Amino acid sequence: MLRLILSRIGLGLATLLAVSVVVFVLTQILPGDVASAVLGQSATPETLANYRHELGLDRPAVIRYFVWLFGVLHGNFGVALTNGQTIVDVLGPRFKNTLFLAGYAALLALPLAIGFGILSAIREGRITDRLANIVALLAISMPEFFVGYVLILNFAVNHEWFPSLATVDSSMPFWARVWTVTLPAITLTFLVTAHMLRMTRNSVLSTMSTAYVEMAFLKGLSRARVVTRHALPNAASPVISVIALNLAYLVVGVVVVENVFTYPGVGQYMIDAVTKRDVPVIEACGIVFAGVFISLNTAADVMAIALNPRLRHPR
Amino acid sequence: MKAADPSSSGPSSLIIDRRTLLAGASALGLSFGPLGGLARAADAPKKGGTLRLGMEGGSASDSFDPRTFADSVAINYGYQVYNGMVEIGDDGEAVGELLESWDTKPGATEWVFNVRKGITFHSGKTLDADDIVYSINLHRGDTKSAAKDLLSAITDVKKLGPNQVGITLSTGNADLPYNLSDYHVLVVPNNFTDWAHPDGTGAYKLEHFEPGVQVVTKNTGHYWKPNRAWYDGVELRYIPDASARSQALISGQVDAVNRLDPKTVGFVMKSPKVNVVQTKGTGNRFAFVALCDDPGYTSNDARMALKYGIDRQKIIDTVFKGYAQVGNDTTISPANRYYAQNDPPHTYDPDRAASLYKKAGSPKFRLQVSEGAFSGATDAGVLYQEALKKAGIDLEVVRVSGDGYWSNVWLKAPFCAVYWGGRPTVDLQLSQTFISTANWNDTHWRDPKFDKIVTEARVELDDAKRKQMYAEAQHLIADNAGMVCFAVGDYLDGYSKKVMGAKPHPRYDLCDERVAEKTWFS
Repeated sequence: MLRLILSRIGLGLATLLAVSVVVFVLTQILPGDVASAVLGQSATPETLANYRHELGLDRPAVIRYFVWLFGVLHGNFGVALTNGQTIVDVLGPRFKNTLFLAGYAALLALPLAIGFGILSAIREGRITDRLANIVALLAISMPEFFVGYVLILNFAVNHEWFPSLATVDSSMPFWARVWTVTLPAITLTFLVTAHMLRMTRNSVLSTMSTAYVEMAFLKGLSRARVVTRHALPNAASPVISVIALNLAYLVVGVVVVENVFTYPGVGQYMIDAVTKRDVPVIEACGIVFAGVFISLNTAADVMAIALNPRLRHPR
Repeated sequence: MKAADPSSSGPSSLIIDRRTLLAGASALGLSFGPLGGLARAADAPKKGGTLRLGMEGGSASDSFDPRTFADSVAINYGYQVYNGMVEIGDDGEAVGELLESWDTKPGATEWVFNVRKGITFHSGKTLDADDIVYSINLHRGDTKSAAKDLLSAITDVKKLGPNQVGITLSTGNADLPYNLSDYHVLVVPNNFTDWAHPDGTGAYKLEHFEPGVQVVTKNTGHYWKPNRAWYDGVELRYIPDASARSQALISGQVDAVNRLDPKTVGFVMKSPKVNVVQTKGTGNRFAFVALCDDPGYTSNDARMALKYGIDRQKIIDTVFKGYAQVGNDTTISPANRYYAQNDPPHTYDPDRAASLYKKAGSPKFRLQVSEGAFSGATDAGVLYQEALKKAGIDLEVVRVSGDGYWSNVWLKAPFCAVYWGGRPTVDLQLSQTFISTANWNDTHWRDPKFDKIVTEARVELDDAKRKQMYAEAQHLIADNAGMVCFAVGDYLDGYSKKVMGAKPHPRYDLCDERVAEKTWFS
C-alpha cells in the first residue's frame, strides 16, 4: 500500500512538471509580451526595447524557462517582471486568503451536501428528496456572479448586515474575517453543494440495489439504518472523488466570486498577471493551482484505497 | 501659489472653459441638484478621518515607479505620496507645484524654472535643483518611461543654482509647463531608486502597499500646500468590478469611487447617501480609425461616407446612456477652448453617405471591434452597421479578442475601434496622433500643411492667432483624416455625502486624481 501511495505522489510531481512546461509554452503563444502590456498604448519601439532588455526578455524562451525552473527547485519563484515584487511574498498571503475562503465554503457545503444527500436517499421519492433536488438544481443553475449580486443587494445594500466588499488583510481578527467573507462563502456554497449532494444520493441509491443491502432489509432493519450502516461505506469512494473535485474547484475556480466581492485571492492575481504577460507570476499561480488539484486528487485516491480493500489488490 | 505666466503676451492653452463645464453639469441636474455638499463647499474644511477610495484602473503589477504609471489607481496614489512639478488648476491653467515659477525667452526654447524653497521629502532631505534634474532625467535617454516622447524635445536640463533649473528645447514649445504637469513626471530625491519604499514630498506617506488589493497612506502632518490634505490617512482599495464599486459606495464601505457605469449610474443616484459628480466631455475620446493608405480607405470620399454614415447621438444614447458628448472626428474635446466651434458637425446623413460611397467606388468596409478597446465598442460597432445599412452601405463588424488588442489590432487593422485619453494640451493631443511622423498616427494620415500649422502653433504666443491655427488644424483632420471620433465621454465619480469640496476638473476624474489632498469630511 505504501508503494502504491508513493507511486501516486511521484506521478503527481511528474504532472506538475508537465503543467509548468505547458503553462510556459502557452504564455509564449499569447500575443504581446510583458513590456508591451505594461507600457500599453503609450509604448514606443525604443522604450519597448529598453524595457525588454531590462527584464531579460531578449533571451531565448528555453533559457528563460530553465532559469525559472532552477529557481523554483530551490524554493524561489523569482520576482514579478512588472513591478519587481518577490512573487512568494505576494502569492503567500493571497493563497492563504483563497484557502480561508475555500475552507469556509467547504465547512458550509460539506455537511449540507452529505447530510441532505443521505437524507434524500433515505427518503427517496418523498417530499424531502424532491425539495432537496429542486433547490440544489436551482442553486447550480444560477451563475455565481448573479448569486453574488443578489446576496449583496439583499444583505449588504438593503440590510447592512454584511459588507459588500470582502477585502481582508493580515491584521484582521479571526471573527472579523469570518464575518467579512460570509457572503462570498455562501455564494460558493450555492455553487458546489448541488453536485456533491446529488452524487451522494445517487451513489447511496445504487448500492441500495445490491444483494447485501437486500439481505439487510430482509433481516428487518429500518431503511435509515440500512442506508447509514450498510450502503454508505460502500458508496463512499465515488463521493470522495466528487468532494475532492469540488474542493479543488473551491480553490482554483473562484475567480468570478473573487472579482464580484473584490477578494484578494490568487485568482485575481493570476488574471492580472495574464493580462500583463507576467510569465513568472502566471507560472507560479499555475503551479500552485495544479498542486492543489493534484494533491486533492491524490488524497482522494489514497482515501478510496484505504476505505475499499478491493482497490488495494488490483487484478 | 499661482506661477508666473510662461508667456507674457497671452495665456497658455486652457483645456476647458470652466463655466461651460459647470453650466453643462447643472443643466443635466446632476451636480447641483443632488450635490448639496458642493453648494456648501465654502464651509470651512476640517481635519480628520480616513478617506476610503474604491477605484478601477490598477492591477497586481502596479508599482511606485512613476515611469510605469499607466492608469488611474497609480496616478492617484502617485499624487498622494509624490508631488508633480506643475499642477493643473481647476480652471485648466498650469500653476506652480514644486517648480514654483518659470520664465522663457521668445521662441520658447530656453526656459528657467525656480524650484520651491523649504520643501522636505518624507526622508527629511530638502528639495533642491538636483532632485528636479534627476527626476526629469528619469524620462530621458535610455529609459522605459511612458513620458519619454512627451519630453523628447528637451536637449538639456541643468542646475543653474541651488533652486533654479534651466531647460533647453530642440524646438520651441510654449506649453512646456503643461508637459511637465504629466502624471509620470513626479519628483523624487536625487539618485533615488528604491521604488519599493517611495520617498516624496506629497501630503501622505506610504504605510502599506499591496498592489491589486490596497494602498494605505498616512498624513505626514506637515504638508507645504496651505488648505490641502485634510485626512489623517487614505485607504485606496482596488475594486475592478463596476457593480461592486457602486455597491460599496452605496453601502458606505468606501467614501468615493471612480468610473461609475453609465448604465447603472441612475440607480446609484437614487441613494440618499451619495453624490455623483459628472465632468462633461473631458473623458475618453471614442473613435473608429481607418488607415488612409489601406485600399478600402484611400479615397477621401469613402472616409467621408463613414463620417456621415454614423448616427453619433444614437450611440451616445444607447451605449453611453447619454453620458458623452458628440465628437466631430478629431480628438479635441468640445469642452476645450480651442475646439473648432464653427466647423460644421458631421451629422448623420444617410443620403449624403450613400452618394459619397458610390463616388468612392463602393469599397468594402470591415471594422474590427473589441471590448478590450473600450467598454461598449462592440455595441457601438453594431449600431454603426445598422446606421450604414440605411445608406445602403455594408459594414462587416468583426469582434476580436480584447487580450493583446493594443499590440495586435491597433495600428495594424485597416479599420478598428480605439480610444484616446485627454492630453494636457491641444498640441499634444494633435501631434501625438495626427502629425505625419507621430508614432501613434493610427490613421496613417499625412498632410504637410497640417504638420506645419501644428508646429507653428506650438511656438505662437498670440492667443487669438493660435486659436485660429488650431481651428484650421482641426478642420483639416475632420475633413480628411481617417478617424471617426463619434463621442467624448464624461467622467462619473461617486462620493459619499460627507465628502466635501469635490468638483469636476478639466483634466482627470476624482478631482484630477488629487481627491486625497483636495477634499475633506463634513
